[in-house]
Amino acid sequence: MKSQDKGLIYLYCLTNKPPHQYIGGGGKIPKLKEAEDLVDNAHFLYYQGLYAVVSNVSTDEFSEENLKNNLADLEWIKTKAGIHEKAIETVMKNSCVIPFKFGTIFNTEENLKIMLKKHISKFKDTLKYLEGKEEWGVKIYCDIDKLKENLIREDKEFLNIDKEINSVSPGKAFILKKKKVELVNTNVNKKLNDYGQLIFEKLNQHSIESRINKLLPKEVTERKEEMILNSAFLIKKNKVENFMEAESALKEIFQEMGFFLDCTGPWPPYNFCEATTYGAKRTPACRQAGKLYG
Amino acid sequence: MEYVTTKSKDVTLLEVLDRVLDKGVVISGDLVISLAEIDLIYVGLKVLISSVETMERLRGAPFASPMQEPT
Repeated sequence: MKSQDKGLIYLYCLTNKPPHQYIGGGGKIPKLKEAEDLVDNAHFLYYQGLYAVVSNVSTDEFSEENLKNNLADLEWIKTKAGIHEKAIETVMKNSCVIPFKFGTIFNTEENLKIMLKKHISKFKDTLKYLEGKEEWGVKIYCDIDKLKENLIREDKEFLNIDKEINSVSPGKAFILKKKKVELVNTNVNKKLNDYGQLIFEKLNQHSIESRINKLLPKEVTERKEEMILNSAFLIKKNKVENFMEAESALKEIFQEMGFFLDCTGPWPPYNFCEATTYGAKRTPACRQAGKLYG
Repeated sequence: MEYVTTKSKDVTLLEVLDRVLDKGVVISGDLVISLAEIDLIYVGLKVLISSVETMERLRGAPFASPMQEPT
């Protein structure tokens, strides 16, 4: 544990299940067997009914200064965040987890235990609450040009304006054209909100809790369509099938109009591990929520 | 009842920035990545940062829409 280059403790997640099912050999420290090829020396630390899934990481990578440098390296982030996710997913296969944010690091086991002690009842309540539930994500994208074309084609008002433009003086036509552009834009925005809300509400019927998160730019989404809704749902396991059926149906209906639904899951409950928001529906994303533990 | 409960779930850059680096429990650990450091990732991605508001929008408050309950 105290080897020179593995001096830090990286925390992936907490769980409340005894880890005996993961033990490879008869070692003292239960190991996270399936993630061994991914995470060097991942193992469990027991504290008062909780199991912290941790690994020893090197200061070369994770000291404050080195981590800051590494965060500038996108490939490094992708690799390490992938490991973070995989480690948690491995545990998630067999038990309920509280995922921690990427890069939650302690100098010593003692410090980790002090943190656990401080929040133990909250963590236990959260795990109890999350039992039998899954997080699913739905992101909606829109091909705005396609939506525009559809609106112009289907709305008679625009046809009438076009007719008028062709029959009036150039000066008046200019004003009418401007009016048309404004009208199209207003309609597009209205449709984005209306349809986005409609889809969200339909999906939300199957969830226990939901979040609307910030939109992400194209550089991040790597898609040509605009993201118009970024949502996360906490769903009872036995309702996931219903949720997915609803999602498929909506996907088909809205595709014609230029909307694309991207549904992923089950995720570790990244969006639903604040202990104080139990049962709250449609809570807007709260960036500061994590601070509840701080 | 048996049914498939997994969908495509690659840990893409999108999901890294949306979930792994942004959500999950934040505690006062000995070392926790700050928001300012996550902003640097967006800068690294050459996402045009023209104003403070843009940055706020990227990493901060969700967009204003009728979908949110009034506060």
